[in-house]
Amino acid sequence: MTDLPKKDAFPKDGTKTYSLVELVKRAPTTMIEKGPDNTVFAFPLVALIELLLSLGLGAVLMLMSLARNAPLEEFANPNTTTDPAKAPWYFMGLQEMLEHGHPTLMAVIFPTIMVLFVLAIPYLDNNRQGSGRWFTSERGKKISWYTALYSLVVMPAFILLDTNFPPRELLRGVVPDFIAQVMVPSVIMGIIVLLPVLILWRQKPTAREVMLVLFTLLFTSAIVFTVVGFFFRGPGFELYWPWNMPDGYSPFDNL
Amino acid sequence: MSALVEALTNSRIWRSIFRHGWPDNPLDRSLVMTSNIFLHLHPVKVNRKSLKWTYSFGLGVLSVLLFLVLSVTGVLLMFYYAPAVEHAYTDIVELQTQIPFGQLLRNLHRWGAHLMVIVVVLHMARVFYTGAYKPPREFNWIMGVSLLLLTFGASFTGYLLPWDQLAFWAITVGTSVASYAPGLGDQMRQLMIGGPEIGQEALTRFYALHIMVIPALIALITSVHIWRVRKDGGLAANDSEE
Repeated sequence: MTDLPKKDAFPKDGTKTYSLVELVKRAPTTMIEKGPDNTVFAFPLVALIELLLSLGLGAVLMLMSLARNAPLEEFANPNTTTDPAKAPWYFMGLQEMLEHGHPTLMAVIFPTIMVLFVLAIPYLDNNRQGSGRWFTSERGKKISWYTALYSLVVMPAFILLDTNFPPRELLRGVVPDFIAQVMVPSVIMGIIVLLPVLILWRQKPTAREVMLVLFTLLFTSAIVFTVVGFFFRGPGFELYWPWNMPDGYSPFDNL
Repeated sequence: MSALVEALTNSRIWRSIFRHGWPDNPLDRSLVMTSNIFLHLHPVKVNRKSLKWTYSFGLGVLSVLLFLVLSVTGVLLMFYYAPAVEHAYTDIVELQTQIPFGQLLRNLHRWGAHLMVIVVVLHMARVFYTGAYKPPREFNWIMGVSLLLLTFGASFTGYLLPWDQLAFWAITVGTSVASYAPGLGDQMRQLMIGGPEIGQEALTRFYALHIMVIPALIALITSVHIWRVRKDGGLAANDSEE
């Protein structure tokens, strides 16, 4: 008992309403050293918001389910291929990509790069500034919209050009297959991705702004490829207008 | 009436379940969250900024709600469905024609699944564009991307179960993508579908993944994900200067 210090390190003073609770060496959360907070009790407000969301969702889902039945075709028959044979809609972007290059490149290597990129985003852009605000800044908003517009023009153009003048076919026998099916699509994709980054580079972008360009490219292109694959591919996996499909085929049969 | 309520809420049974009073004061409003296993994923207090509708659009909450709808309708579907190639299709036809509200049940599950893929993708886009992945939330972004991939997996494995032409050929096309992986492609496809062709083995595997493995992983990682949102300081909107 004699080892105890004479003075209490944290004296209990009846006149004080605060005391030292913990020493923060490295901020583990974002709430430290912030001014007076602007908070409300989560109960019952958040519970009510969640209740409203569930009621709204329930109504929407019920209306959808009353309006349209889930599709059911004939019994599965491995001997009769459906035409077109399509993957579920969220993989139609992948199936569309298969049309434009070597399958290993398009269906394995590119998607792997995309997933790894998305996982790496917080480690590539690790500046705490600018979180919690849509597009971070006015400039970020502009960059995102321009990139989305760029992707909406370039990607459909690429799909159309590549379908009508496929380098794989035109270069067949002229150069080795590896060049025609792997190198050429890789270089084209590389240029499409790098062009907006290079343009931005001259404006001295932040890491966040580079991420905005790359993610917007990825996200918008994924939408373009999915929409083309789902709505515009008909029998024979040929391109058609969605409202003008032959053989009475409708893209919605594949939901 | 108020005497009845009083007697009820003061009874030993009530008080053994709810260890807080009526939540009309700060203490009980805190306790209602911290003493309930389901509500405790929420923080006790939330920042007004994070409640702004146009900030989050409620997409995370909607993802969880859709998962719950799909769990409930999925269990009900399991009562009428056997994952055998001779049964599966007729079970679905029977469900739609013989079982009261069977068609509605299947519609809710089908459209709910499509909606969940869309909502989860939009949730990821929202988190990205608001910069909510930035430190200290890097790890939770990883959890979120895992949940997106699991959502694709849940939807894809469920797609085979009706065993109609649509299911069969969509999964044939979808799994053929795996065979393009360099080196081990064919082995990977075999691992997925349990044989060279889509058959009973594939149906068995997809069923087990669809009703057990993937939902369990989604429930587990979603818990980590939501808990981590609270631990990382709530929604990133709280950190913004606006």
